[in-house]
Amino acid sequence: MKKLKLKSQLALFNALSKAIIITLLVILVPWLVSRISIRETDDILVQKMFQVTNLVDSLGIESFIDANSDFKAFGSYNILKEEYISIEPLNKDTLIDVIEFSQRIIEGELVDYRVLSYSIEENGKYYLIEIGKSISTIYRFEHNLKRFAFIFLVIIISVTLLLDLSFIQYLLKPFEKIVKKLKTTDHPTTFQYTPVKTNTADFTYLDQTIHSLMRKIEAAFNDEREYISNVSHELLTPVSIIQSKLDNILHESSLSENDMIKIFESKKTLRRLTNLVRTLLMMSRIENEEYILTEEVDVNKVLKNVVEEIEDKAVAKELELKLNLTDLNFSFIGNENLLFTLFYNFINNAIRYTDKGFIEIKSLKEKNKFIVQIMDTGVGIKKEKIPEIFSRFKNSNATKDSYGLGLALSKKICDYHKIDVEVKSEINKGSSFTLRFPV
Amino acid sequence: MRILIVEDEKGLAAELKQFLENNEYNCDIAFTGNEASELLAVNPYDFVLLDIGLPDYNGLDLIKEAKEYNSEAYFIVITARGELEDKIKGFDLGADDYLPKPFSLLELNSRIQAITRRKFGHKDSVINFGDFDLDTTKRHLKYKDRGIDLTKKEYKLLSYLVLNKNRVLDRLQLTEHIWGEFFEDDYDSNYIDVHIKNIRKKLSKYDKTEWIKTIRGIGYKFEF
Repeated sequence: MKKLKLKSQLALFNALSKAIIITLLVILVPWLVSRISIRETDDILVQKMFQVTNLVDSLGIESFIDANSDFKAFGSYNILKEEYISIEPLNKDTLIDVIEFSQRIIEGELVDYRVLSYSIEENGKYYLIEIGKSISTIYRFEHNLKRFAFIFLVIIISVTLLLDLSFIQYLLKPFEKIVKKLKTTDHPTTFQYTPVKTNTADFTYLDQTIHSLMRKIEAAFNDEREYISNVSHELLTPVSIIQSKLDNILHESSLSENDMIKIFESKKTLRRLTNLVRTLLMMSRIENEEYILTEEVDVNKVLKNVVEEIEDKAVAKELELKLNLTDLNFSFIGNENLLFTLFYNFINNAIRYTDKGFIEIKSLKEKNKFIVQIMDTGVGIKKEKIPEIFSRFKNSNATKDSYGLGLALSKKICDYHKIDVEVKSEINKGSSFTLRFPV
Repeated sequence: MRILIVEDEKGLAAELKQFLENNEYNCDIAFTGNEASELLAVNPYDFVLLDIGLPDYNGLDLIKEAKEYNSEAYFIVITARGELEDKIKGFDLGADDYLPKPFSLLELNSRIQAITRRKFGHKDSVINFGDFDLDTTKRHLKYKDRGIDLTKKEYKLLSYLVLNKNRVLDRLQLTEHIWGEFFEDDYDSNYIDVHIKNIRKKLSKYDKTEWIKTIRGIGYKFEF
């Protein structure tokens, strides 16, 4: 699942919570408003009822209902039929005090009312007083209230949403800067130590902690580099002294042929030691990531250079060196010297373990990926030995005096450049090394 | 020619001095940066062999200092630290060449000669043997004004042998000179022999003299 940024998550949460609030309010507000408006109406009805009963008390029921008339009831309504008041005798002696929705026919028209019915006793007789208020007025009031409530809600929510989002943006800006600082750092020595400006204590703490950790890493890295450099000096200086001594002895022509050969043999051994030390140091430097990987390397050109340097060895062994390079522009961001060493080692190895036939070097593009392939018709590697060929000081062919470091170094260089290596081999038929370059 | 050797390893300094004096250079030795700094201030040297791994001094500062004294000296930087950065820095500060430890003394001599030729122009730049002319600045070989076609490596090999004439050059020295400091581990390979065979063939078309002598088990010698 794709992971979201903190800022987006907060914004998303904010928007969602606001959406939930709006939905809740959309559901609740009409219900609340109608409750409120009914209660409001009811209060008015009760108040009016109070006034009417007071009026009846003070004027007497006779002023409203003529006992001699046939029509023994009183009714009053305004012309828009928004309100009506009626008084009529009640036959039952139960007391009534209810408010309810009800329909009344007034002047032949059916109207919805909120009606308060209330019974009173007057001169031993019971009367029912009804006060009704047309629901359409209630609805009008309710409608207005809802409209204003909604407009108000929408304004409030959009303003707070906007404020929240810009505040989150402002608040998280230092955090984003810290993240960016880490993203642009691919090596402890390239880290930017400028403190991020922030008013948030946590971010200051985070920034400072990262800085102090980075300083520690950088110090460890520099210590390691210093150490490798010192080891290099300590190991190679004595070698250099011996070599110079041997050179000087060799140049004194008074030596016998046998002594000269012995000294030359010693020089060869010394050279072996030198190469061992240099290869080990190179591997340590790769492990310590001291080589820059930002050069644009023309891989075909490097292959051509390697072949130019190494073809003498193939010629001396009467081996054909075939070079099939792609016409495409095969450029790669890496370290040119390391890539040179990588190809040199692989091709050198192919020549060393091949006695007849040819060595083929190919570069091609396959499924969007560039590939370099080095194939030989040499002795091959036993299947069970293939996994060990890249380990230090292990070699499938112990008869040839190899130190088993060349391929280990090559593997290191491949890993450092994220180049994938595939080895195929058949005994007495040959081997092929396929290097797949990352896109 | 006067050379200052700046090297804190006394054993190595002594070998360098012995070799260079055998080649008729005058040598002074400074074991520390301070000594070197004092010597550079008062003496006009032609060359300074500088080990930048000095205990008391950043070797590269010495180059800076020397340039301030308007010294005409050429600097060959020696280091066992093998740091690429130092290599680049060294050239930036005016080092003229760079040798990683351990190096062959002949290679050192060849670098000194190369710088000398580069800086002092055409003097001594053409070497004659028989009717052959080897032009070390234009990098070609002629026989009585007829150009002889040599490959780059053949030319390099021949001129190295000629410049160190009457001296046995072993395979390691020849390899180091031509192929540089690769991670070479085929010491018994005969690929140098292939080049020598070709050079001999090309020379013998014009002149039957055996210029290049094989030293069994070691290498070759140019006799003249």
